[in-house]
Amino acid sequence: MEPKILKVKNGDVTKTINEFLKELLNSGKVHSLLVPQAVPSKKMVFPVLISDSNQLNADVFAPLLPASTARIISKMTKFQATKEPIGVVLRSCQIRALVELVKLNQANLENIIIIGVDCLGTFSIDSFVNFSEGKTPTEFILEAFKEKGNSSDKYLRSACCVCKDPIPTNADITIGVYGVDLDKEVLIDVATKAGEKVIEDLKLDDTKSVKEREKSIKTIREEKTKKRTEFVKEKRSINGIAALSEFFDKCINCHNCMTVCPICYCKECLYDSSVFDAEAYKFLRKADRKGLFKMPNDSLLFHLGKMNHMILSCVECGLCEQGCPSNIPLMDVFIPAAENAQKEFDYHPGKDPEEKIPMIVYREDEYLEVGEK
Amino acid sequence: MAKKSDKIGAVAVVGGGITGIQAALDLADMGFKVYLLEKSSAIGGVMAQLDKTFPTNDCSMCILSPKLVDCARHVNIELFTNTEVQKIEGKPGNFIVKALKKPRYVDMEKCTSCGSCEEVCPIKLPNLFEHGLSDRKAIYKLYPQAIPNAYVIDKEGDGKHRGCVNCMKCTDVCEVGAINHDEKPENLKLNVGAVIVATGSQPFNPVIKPEFGYKKYQNVMTSVEFERVLSASGPFEGKILRPSDKKTPKKIAWVHCVGSRDKSVEHEYCSSMCCMYTAKEAVIAKEHDADIEPTVFYIDIRSFGKDFDKYIDRAKREHGLRYVRSRISEIVENQKTKDLVIRYEDDSGELKEETFNLVVLSVGLCIAEEQRNELIGRLGFETNEFGFVYTNPDDPVVLKPGIFVAGSFLEPQAIPESVMQASAAAANAAALLKDVRGTLVKEKQYPAERDVSGEKPRVGVFVCHCGINIGGYVDVPAVVKFAKSLDDVAYAEANLYTCSEDTQKKIVNAIKKHNLNRILVAACTPRTHEPLFQKSLRDAGLNPYLLEMTNIREQCSWVHMDKPKEATDKAKQLVAMTVAKIRFLQPIQEAEIPVTQKALVIGGGIAGMTAALSLADQGYETALVEKEQVLGGYLNKVYYTVEGIEIDQLLKETVEKVQKHDIIKVYTGSSLVSLNGYVGSYESEIKTPKGTANFNHGIIVVTVGADEYKPNSYLYGKNPQVFTQSELEKKLSECLPEDIHDGETFVMIQCVESRDEQRPYCSRICCMQAVKNAIRIKELNPRAEVFVLYRDLMTYGFKEKFYKTAREKGVMFLQYDAEKKPIVSANDDGLVVKMFEPMLQRELRIPVDTLVLSTGLQPNLDNSVIAQMLKVPVNDDGFFLEAHVKLRPVDFSTRGVFVAGNCHMPKFIGESIYQAQAAAARAATILAQPKLAAEPNIAVVDEDMCSGCKLCISVCPYNAIDSVEEKINGKTVVRARVNEGLCQGCGVCVATCPSGAMQQRGFKDEQILPMVEETV
Repeated sequence: MEPKILKVKNGDVTKTINEFLKELLNSGKVHSLLVPQAVPSKKMVFPVLISDSNQLNADVFAPLLPASTARIISKMTKFQATKEPIGVVLRSCQIRALVELVKLNQANLENIIIIGVDCLGTFSIDSFVNFSEGKTPTEFILEAFKEKGNSSDKYLRSACCVCKDPIPTNADITIGVYGVDLDKEVLIDVATKAGEKVIEDLKLDDTKSVKEREKSIKTIREEKTKKRTEFVKEKRSINGIAALSEFFDKCINCHNCMTVCPICYCKECLYDSSVFDAEAYKFLRKADRKGLFKMPNDSLLFHLGKMNHMILSCVECGLCEQGCPSNIPLMDVFIPAAENAQKEFDYHPGKDPEEKIPMIVYREDEYLEVGEK
Repeated sequence: MAKKSDKIGAVAVVGGGITGIQAALDLADMGFKVYLLEKSSAIGGVMAQLDKTFPTNDCSMCILSPKLVDCARHVNIELFTNTEVQKIEGKPGNFIVKALKKPRYVDMEKCTSCGSCEEVCPIKLPNLFEHGLSDRKAIYKLYPQAIPNAYVIDKEGDGKHRGCVNCMKCTDVCEVGAINHDEKPENLKLNVGAVIVATGSQPFNPVIKPEFGYKKYQNVMTSVEFERVLSASGPFEGKILRPSDKKTPKKIAWVHCVGSRDKSVEHEYCSSMCCMYTAKEAVIAKEHDADIEPTVFYIDIRSFGKDFDKYIDRAKREHGLRYVRSRISEIVENQKTKDLVIRYEDDSGELKEETFNLVVLSVGLCIAEEQRNELIGRLGFETNEFGFVYTNPDDPVVLKPGIFVAGSFLEPQAIPESVMQASAAAANAAALLKDVRGTLVKEKQYPAERDVSGEKPRVGVFVCHCGINIGGYVDVPAVVKFAKSLDDVAYAEANLYTCSEDTQKKIVNAIKKHNLNRILVAACTPRTHEPLFQKSLRDAGLNPYLLEMTNIREQCSWVHMDKPKEATDKAKQLVAMTVAKIRFLQPIQEAEIPVTQKALVIGGGIAGMTAALSLADQGYETALVEKEQVLGGYLNKVYYTVEGIEIDQLLKETVEKVQKHDIIKVYTGSSLVSLNGYVGSYESEIKTPKGTANFNHGIIVVTVGADEYKPNSYLYGKNPQVFTQSELEKKLSECLPEDIHDGETFVMIQCVESRDEQRPYCSRICCMQAVKNAIRIKELNPRAEVFVLYRDLMTYGFKEKFYKTAREKGVMFLQYDAEKKPIVSANDDGLVVKMFEPMLQRELRIPVDTLVLSTGLQPNLDNSVIAQMLKVPVNDDGFFLEAHVKLRPVDFSTRGVFVAGNCHMPKFIGESIYQAQAAAARAATILAQPKLAAEPNIAVVDEDMCSGCKLCISVCPYNAIDSVEEKINGKTVVRARVNEGLCQGCGVCVATCPSGAMQQRGFKDEQILPMVEETV
């Protein structure tokens, strides 16, 4: 299906999209929508599950990712697929996370309509809540995007600064802004039969050309890829036990990075269990051997264990970094590690639901013996 | 034949080399009492003297020693050493074996192998186990791991040196009073139902070939002597030294075919394994010392076995073996340097001289005069023209009714063939005695298991020197001292060889004396020795899973030879880690799997039919599935042989026997469509022309065969004068003498699209096919011309004589180089073959009437489908891959599945027959038991932790995990479940599970993490 467009009314993109979503909800094609929307205090935007179109006031471009939307969908669909369709509005990183969770049997996409949104990036919770540029963060980032205001780069989370895939893949419907004149229109790109069915009754205009969009996407990808390459190059020096120990010095062992990670799906994390508790004499023996050691003594092991478990599926959403109360810049190690590990297995998390997790794929030539190459 | 009532459920196995050992173990496991008779003072034979084994470079002693100990401990094997068979009387099913048991002068029950006697003994003799390269005392142990593990006194000496002089010093020093200088010989009379003769053969003694200078020049030695030079427990402790100056030689030459393929000593046969052991010796020497420059003088490189070509290729490529094709004329010593000058003719016939520091003569095997006169003469066995015993080629292990034969007593051969024949002989004996199976056996009784729950850990640590393998580099006493300092370690000691029989007694005693409840063995890999130590725990009333091993050899001393201090530190650390784990070991109770005592054989060729017959003759109901409409497989395409097998008759009789057997169900035109279950309890679905048949069985034998490869080159399929060998064979079988005219020219090209990059294996049979068909042509019309263009002529063993016959009949054998393959062209005058002849150094042009291509066999394409269904591996070439190429040649690592015939690798009819019987024997060791112990170290799921991600299901190679849906608090939860019969305890699921929900018994997080904690 050719991409469609929504005409923007009064230059208010957010409102235009809200009307589109409202129409969608009213059409009965979806029972509910999961959308980012301001909480009553208006300070924060959170995903809300909404079935009453009158209460819909989505803020789809709000530059904030307070929690993993993918994980929310996992919680709703893991036991049983939803019988009634739900439209879920997701950023590209959360769609990727959702695809990974599906591969891991932790989510079921039956009757889930993914509505992806071109991502303009997100701010830290602090920047968002205490935003002081005299306008809302959403207004600010949209103006920055239209090159009518100051750049939003300084507010972007580091994950977003170097995100090379802000355009949704695997969405049934994509709300597109790259390469689109936002003063006039928003792109509605439908990629699947399920998506087509959902919008079939809605009145949308045909688009004239997507060339501009393709060019814009190419540019943004190139720009971000370049930034990411520089980032990876710069951060690669954090390597080896000594450097990593120093990097995690500030860790208070709260395990919040694991709690907020969309991929970490274990019921109980091994590192939260009593496996590492032991009788005092063992600690004393270790003290004898080493003279002294830091307590709690399993924090580096936790981080390496977590990395080992999920690095191949890491979608680089940066929620771990955002969740760290000690402000450890976790992306500094996770992005280079993800880059290396995923390249080694030629694996692209979240890109293709059919691509198997490397853990379950046997290739004769992977990880050759030392000297075999 | 004896009536059922007077048959005896016991078998005498004569000869305690690897062949006799294998036969004894198989029979004992099948429910027969076994008497194992060995002429020397210990079992082990030649294999105990070898350093490494080809093509895997496994340490020979390391893979042999568990079998030795198994023999010693098997409750149904009775060992008689220093014993020689005198007479076999009686009839099949009921023989009396008369044997003379010579005195050992040491009581095996009392001897603790402490070695005090050896220290005080004043008499020195050449150590024959070391081929005289070192000395031993008159009281001695054949080798350190010898079984029985007891000393023996040599009273006779060796002619030149006198033996024991009755000085009684040993008697004085022996604390347990084990020595009895007055022991008398004993005449044994053993009542058995069958006899297996596996007395082996002898290495050729090159003294009678003066041109090689053996025993004249110090630095000329035989390959069997060189094995001891290579061995870490040998006279030079594994250092490559030459006898004259004990310096490392740089240039070493090996000379092939010494005493083989040699008319002058009446050994016109090939000894089959010398080409390969030569390559192995050269490779290992090179591994010991990279500066060594090995040169091999050869006639043909007979690398006809599985993966042998790849080994030779690697030896040349990676280890720089230099191969010179030449029969050498003379070896002369430089009297000053003791170096040796070899005179030889090179490829082009030019005479050359080259100096070497050491020369190794690759000697073949023969039946020595003594053995011919003694054993064979006494027992009246029929022999062939070379002095080896003779059997019918289509019934290869049957010497006489009730008397079977195996190993190199039959024909010079390598270990796998010997081991297969051993099992085959066991199968034949078991079939003869099926009605009295289990009548004379005892069941191993272990003491009741001690309940250790609630006991504080009391660890016993046994640190192995492994001769010098560990002790030479790691300070073993320091490790023992360190172990004693660790918490919960109640006892620690060092052993020369922890795996030896006497150490097992020590372990049992230590457990009892010190009330130990965890045992740590710091030695080598658990892969070979763990079952041994587990049995010792059992003997002491401990659950066998309270044992832990740590590898301070492969993972420590061997890799840190140059850093003894660090190696010792690491060994300590490894011990500390394992002690950290061992505290948390819990007893594991083995689950029991009931055995369906029936067999499934897949593939109805000669191997499949033989396996089915052997199993059914042993009393096990068998289903035989064949995809074609008729039985016979590849045998249907064979028309005649030269070694005396009447193909028509063999095929007809075998098919008839199979079809008439009351407990064989034959399914032709059928295939296996699904297989469920595990060893002991399989359920199969067989698609037959009459619909689906279901069959429950305990084991599977895979005999799906192989087929002739159809080439794409040399105008095959395009020119009517071009045939494959088997097509020619069919044509020749229909030919009358007048069909072949005088001067008609046949050219056979060997190794067509074979032994190259695409198909890098030798098909073993094609050289003989060529020889056989060439002889046939010459028999039809002696004036026909036959040329065989070959690379290496693989007429191994006694097949060599047919090569000679062909040459005598005027068949021309021309060798070509793999780099310069013959070229075939067709023009108006017909077919022409051009080839470069290295001897003449020019191109030959042969006009051809019939061009014959030897292409070898290729594995079935559906092997991989069967492999997947059965969870068994195939090798790179597509042939099935056995569990161990040397010692488990018909077993798969998947328990309960066996392999035989061409699908394992190309082989001759006789070889397929004995391999099939071997598979039946190995299968019967399972079928004979009503119940099996299941793998104990299986994975278990912590259901509360399982997230249901199913990664474990995807990675399980045994399909042992499935997912189940459960309602928990009204919600449907998906969880993993392990099938205890299918799980093999490989641990892949455990490594894959991120949550720790999947745990493996014996390797649980709470056991492994303390090890990690101990090191970081």
